[in-house]
Amino acid sequence: MEQIIRLKDCDPNFVYEVEEAGGENVHLCFQCGTCSAGCPTVYTMDYTPRQIMRMVTLGIKDKVLNSETIWVCASCYTCQTRCPRGVEITNVMGALKSIAIREGVRAANEKGPAFYNSFVEIALSYGRMFEPLLMLKFAQKSEGSLSGTLKHLLRHASLGMELTKKGKIALMPHKIKGREHMKKIIENIRKIEEEEK
Amino acid sequence: MKYAYYPGCSLEATAKEYDMSVKEVFKALGVELKEIEDWNCCGASAAYSIDHLLSLSLAARNLALAEKENMDILAPCPECYLREWETSDSIKMDRELLDKMNKALEGTGLKVKGSIDVKHPLDVIVNDIGIEKLAEKVVNSLNGLKVAPYYGCVIVRPPRNKRFDSPERPTSMDRIIEAVGATVAPFQHKVKCCGGALMMANEGVQMKLSREILLDAKENADCIITACPLCHMALDARQMYIEKEYNEKIEVPVLYFTQLIGLALGITPKKLGLDKNFVPTKKIINSVKLASK
Repeated sequence: MEQIIRLKDCDPNFVYEVEEAGGENVHLCFQCGTCSAGCPTVYTMDYTPRQIMRMVTLGIKDKVLNSETIWVCASCYTCQTRCPRGVEITNVMGALKSIAIREGVRAANEKGPAFYNSFVEIALSYGRMFEPLLMLKFAQKSEGSLSGTLKHLLRHASLGMELTKKGKIALMPHKIKGREHMKKIIENIRKIEEEEK
Repeated sequence: MKYAYYPGCSLEATAKEYDMSVKEVFKALGVELKEIEDWNCCGASAAYSIDHLLSLSLAARNLALAEKENMDILAPCPECYLREWETSDSIKMDRELLDKMNKALEGTGLKVKGSIDVKHPLDVIVNDIGIEKLAEKVVNSLNGLKVAPYYGCVIVRPPRNKRFDSPERPTSMDRIIEAVGATVAPFQHKVKCCGGALMMANEGVQMKLSREILLDAKENADCIITACPLCHMALDARQMYIEKEYNEKIEVPVLYFTQLIGLALGITPKKLGLDKNFVPTKKIINSVKLASK
């Protein structure tokens, strides 16, 4: 595959941005491909994990953040376990997801960000997960339209019913007493991240 | 022995039978569990994928709550366990991060010191209580039952120093299967990913990965045991979807490892929540025989 990399499309600071966001040691990658060989979801990625590592060090930010790959990563840590160079590959994928969400990059498959955002919104407002609301929020965010949302919910209705029958779904959310703590923590984190910029 | 119990959100809902069986088994083994008061969601892989600092801070609040009681945390859900363990381990090694965590907790009246450990029930049963002690307490024989031990991902990964089992060839669940008198079935997919994290965002990938695990187990085992609510959901509750998608019958029961232990310890199936699993567990329950000792 012939590819031309234009310097003007490269961001030399991208690799530091990724390391700062929790994905350490990317620069140590020597392109052996062990990560791609063991990856359970590589068959459905547009770039292999090895390619993503190289693109991060080269600073090809745009393509990396728009890739399908980062959202198909199941965070199983097989790559990170086997990397002979100690690259925290799974953490790099996590860091890339967080940068893509922060910068509002529209993912090729928007279901990934939709799921993560729905999950965290609920966790932060109640202090606990509430599955029925997670299903609803995720359906709304990932489908967009009302008819899409309804269709999505209908498709999962039978599992929801079965879980309810077995007493495995709460009907009301459990809200923790320390919900103010959640707000404080978010405020404090914003401050810390602002100071670090 | 006493632990600060951190059930996590799944064990309150979709993994109710895990919560029930952990509590029953630890009671039978003489270990006291005291639930952390007003614990919060760890944010799982979602918070970690949105903001690393947020993920660490959510875990830090729980650590601070448990530190007040001066007890190590017991976390049965591997995702909760990973998040709490990672934060606890990191602040012990990194003074700067510890300060940052306390900055994040400012105004909550909580402080974190890094004075406690975070443990998984598998680790506690095998290494702290001891496999011999477990074997002594067995009253029902599971002789003849072939069990596939499914570890999944984050119980043993990512590897860092001081992890309790091997990331590629773990044995703690195998040893438990032997201790309760059952047989470890040949099983290639011990640590292969079930795709559970993609269950909602990418169903097709999850079904393909989970199916491979189920078919491997079907060949040699009577059931699978797991230690993860997400794996359990992917392999048990979603098994009917996989059967429909691929137009085949699989019918492999998936138990939490604590449900299997509970049966061997003579705890009733009802108390272990064995009626809450999706794939019927009756065949497994019926195979339990009173031990001849």
